[in-house]
Amino acid sequence: MRDTTHELECWLRAGGKRVGQLSIAPAGNGWELRHTDDTARGDLAFFSKWEDARSLANFDDAGAFRPLKTAPSLRHGWRLVLRDAHSVRLALDYFYPAMLGVWLAHGCGEVVPVELHDTLGRQTGMYRITQKLTYEQAQRLIAKQCRSNSGCLKKILWRISASVSVPLLPPEKFRADAVPADTMPLLCHEACNFLVAAARKMVKDETPPAP
Amino acid sequence: MFTKPDSALVIAGHGSTLNPDSSAPTWKLAEEIRSRGIFGEVHCAFWKEEPSFRQVLHCVDRENVYVVPNFISEGYFTKTVIPRELGLTGNATRIGRHTVKYCEPVGSHARMTELLLKRAADIASGVPPEKTSLFIVAHGTDLNENSAAAAKREVDRITALGRYREVLSAYMEEAPLIAEWDRLSTSANVVVVPFFISDGLHSYEDIPVLLGIATESPGAASANRAAVFANNPYRLRGRTLYYASSIGTETGFAEVILDQVMAFVSSHPA
Repeated sequence: MRDTTHELECWLRAGGKRVGQLSIAPAGNGWELRHTDDTARGDLAFFSKWEDARSLANFDDAGAFRPLKTAPSLRHGWRLVLRDAHSVRLALDYFYPAMLGVWLAHGCGEVVPVELHDTLGRQTGMYRITQKLTYEQAQRLIAKQCRSNSGCLKKILWRISASVSVPLLPPEKFRADAVPADTMPLLCHEACNFLVAAARKMVKDETPPAP
Repeated sequence: MFTKPDSALVIAGHGSTLNPDSSAPTWKLAEEIRSRGIFGEVHCAFWKEEPSFRQVLHCVDRENVYVVPNFISEGYFTKTVIPRELGLTGNATRIGRHTVKYCEPVGSHARMTELLLKRAADIASGVPPEKTSLFIVAHGTDLNENSAAAAKREVDRITALGRYREVLSAYMEEAPLIAEWDRLSTSANVVVVPFFISDGLHSYEDIPVLLGIATESPGAASANRAAVFANNPYRLRGRTLYYASSIGTETGFAEVILDQVMAFVSSHPA
């Protein structure tokens, strides 16, 4: 059986210290988490429970809800001190849901990327219309929604289809290993519901009304 | 109390891209059940938030996984979306290194009736039920969602108890419309309980506007919107109206989740 907490602790003790916009550093017998922009600040609000991560992750600096936790909009101004790796694991479930598990599974070869064509192809109900998304639309959509500096920090492991890539984003956006050695990559093995919802809007907005 | 230290629990919720209120009850349930140490691990998964149904199994260490949908209705999401997204082919499905056991949704549990009655009694404390009309409000638009059927079932169960003068189902977007609550009911006291898992736009804003106790205030913070529950009772249209929050925030939901796992274990012996 995999032991996620043990794997996380090994990574931390081997010098791992960055996940997305989170900086993690040893603090006594435990660990301290803060925003990577705040590593030199001394005026941070103090938190000490892993459950605090939910409210810290839920809202950006302006107080807006962050439905996509891998958006580059993590709130500043706090530090979270946790007593052990298990607490860090639970906090990461709020800061970057699923990202620790997907990273470990990817390392074991268990993650199978799913092409966007297949993700849209299985949609039903209000999202069935996304099957009309053209490759050109898909490239524009992904270039806008998934861009690391304004959309999502994840590395994209999937393609639009077997023969269609996304040329409008830099090559490192598609490489799981294109991160520093002390950084846990955030990995996207399949288009998320946010992208599917955006695809629906694009198809509806750009489809001419029936005569 | 049963324990499943060699198993994982995944609570599957809807979630929202608009506010954190939709997923909050599911996260709180996970924290509550995790604190009891019944399962080796407890996770959440969502349709509209992360971890998604497509991601969640990568987060689970243990081989044996119970999935309980935190949904009111047995319908589109529990019959189509969740099985499809998880890759289920039956009650128990082998997926990679996991065996996923798919339990009944919370909304089909017999205890929903008790939780609805508790919500109604709490919000209208001291008000005699025999002089009160009780509304169970559901969405009721999408037939696949089956929420109207769930509300009608609860109305039948509560009516059979004979406590309230009348028990009615009403919907946001199909007849009988909750907007016509004063015409549909006959009692001086009216209690309205939304049959939803979570407090969100529907219970904070849409239903209050339809009832006539709030005006539209798009984008208002959750804390402000929650004030609609603190201002009870409302006196309007010649009646006294009590408006409750969604039942998914009832603490008894943790027991319902555990019951659904136990029901699976009982009906699918190893």
